[in-house]
Amino acid sequence: MKPIIQATQLQFSYGAHAVLKDVTLSIDPGEIIGLIGENGAGKTTLLNLMLGLFSAHRGQLHLFGQQPGAPIAKQRIGTMRQKDLVIRGVTVQEVLRLAAAQYPEALNVTTLLKNLDLTAIAKQRLTALSGGQLRRVTFALALVGNPDLLFLDEPTVGMDTNAQQAFWRRIQQLKAAGKTIVITSHYLPEIQAVADRICLLRNGEIAFQGTFQALQEQYQQVEITCQTALPVAAFENLPGVTAVTKTGPRLNISSEAGDTTLQALVPVLADLRQVTIKRESLTDIFVHLTKGVIA
Amino acid sequence: MSAWFERFKFDGRRLILRNFSFQFFSLVMPAGFYLLFTKVMVTGNVPASFNVTYMGSMIVYSGTINALFGIAAFLQRDREAGVLQWCWLSPTGIRPYYLSIGCWSLLMNTSSVVVLGGIAMGVNHVSLSVAQWGAIAGIAILGQLSTMLLGVLISFVERAETLSVLSNLITFPMAIISGLWWPLGLLPNWLQPIGKLMPTYLINDWLGRVATHGTLLTSDILGTGAWMIGLLVVVIVSVRLLLKRSDGVVRA
Repeated sequence: MKPIIQATQLQFSYGAHAVLKDVTLSIDPGEIIGLIGENGAGKTTLLNLMLGLFSAHRGQLHLFGQQPGAPIAKQRIGTMRQKDLVIRGVTVQEVLRLAAAQYPEALNVTTLLKNLDLTAIAKQRLTALSGGQLRRVTFALALVGNPDLLFLDEPTVGMDTNAQQAFWRRIQQLKAAGKTIVITSHYLPEIQAVADRICLLRNGEIAFQGTFQALQEQYQQVEITCQTALPVAAFENLPGVTAVTKTGPRLNISSEAGDTTLQALVPVLADLRQVTIKRESLTDIFVHLTKGVIA
Repeated sequence: MSAWFERFKFDGRRLILRNFSFQFFSLVMPAGFYLLFTKVMVTGNVPASFNVTYMGSMIVYSGTINALFGIAAFLQRDREAGVLQWCWLSPTGIRPYYLSIGCWSLLMNTSSVVVLGGIAMGVNHVSLSVAQWGAIAGIAILGQLSTMLLGVLISFVERAETLSVLSNLITFPMAIISGLWWPLGLLPNWLQPIGKLMPTYLINDWLGRVATHGTLLTSDILGTGAWMIGLLVVVIVSVRLLLKRSDGVVRA
């Protein structure tokens, strides 16, 4: 399968400050990629390079086999930037109609407004909308050209809970329709729930690239909770265990080598009740990774 | 074609129909000045030629205000709001955007000719031939391209506050020293030659001569042309320089 985005050893700097260093990334059709990293890690710069807004100083980048910014590539791309488009003197419907007219295979605006639950505000001026409503309009603008590839930069910021849920449902529908989606977000649970692959940027380099499961396997931190009559000392020396605490019958074991510790617990399993094993969430792993705990 | 038509409709709504600032400052205010200085604040008989030349001055003033305040602020605001980036990311790019704004700017100048010409005919009984009206419209539309280009040029400044200062610093001194508000002869002798170099003077003189005698002065045409070509070159170079920067597309 030919990748939709192929980036090879991309480099970009602002003056002497290198923002991206040898970034190599390949994204296949139908994939949802979560682009994560701390502020200043290079996410938005990478996005801007992919959109053709910036030019890479070194390396190669192709979208649909074209240079970024090529008209043919633009026809197949939808973008939801962090900053909403607030144009004075025009309504939601008017701006969507203008956007639709620019694309050869645009969606029907009335249908799109209905599908995104925007019909009620269709005739309202953009300047009269709330932050959450503007975000939804920006999403509609990204979709109206019926793109094959979507770039969503912090898409749910400012949306209320219902709007966020509706948004992620829509993303799942788009995935089912075979669309390729690149999302950057600071709400990591959202990325964890929806992304096929995660690309973690740290100081302009890709610190990790792969599935969330692969990341979890690489990062073996687990929290084991159970009830037992056994003393704390019975667990302290198990392989991988970093801390053991006991409050009444309730025991908490922290391990940095989950699989090994779990294997070591097998002989005493009969003495343990109500066992729960919590693997680190993407947020937890992100915190460790961005602090450089594991490379 | 449908993309262009949609773009044109879209910009027309926000530039004219729903733009109170344009309606007031570029149409109502010059029309008010015209009535004030030809009907209200006058004693005795006003020479018929003044009704015509002052109409020309107010047409030029309207165009200048529109270019240096209206269009410049509009372009700057669009860039700040990310409209330009949004257009660039669409398959049709930014060319239709500039073309549409350019066309509307010319139509906005036409509307000032219609409003001020209507008042001149209806209230001050100015009577001109069809050819003269046609020439006035033509000069107002094309002759003012130079002030329009000046508006585009100053719209490249980073901040709205700076733009506002620049617009004020250029428009009002230029209007005064080029004789749009009162006759050039009332200015100090050393200032008059400078005033005569201003694009607004050249267009106003051109309009006045066509409207009063139906004559043309080569220096008005050449001077306006020189301003136009000069500013066009500066605008093109500026846009190219902005686009050349690595983050130029975002900013331009």
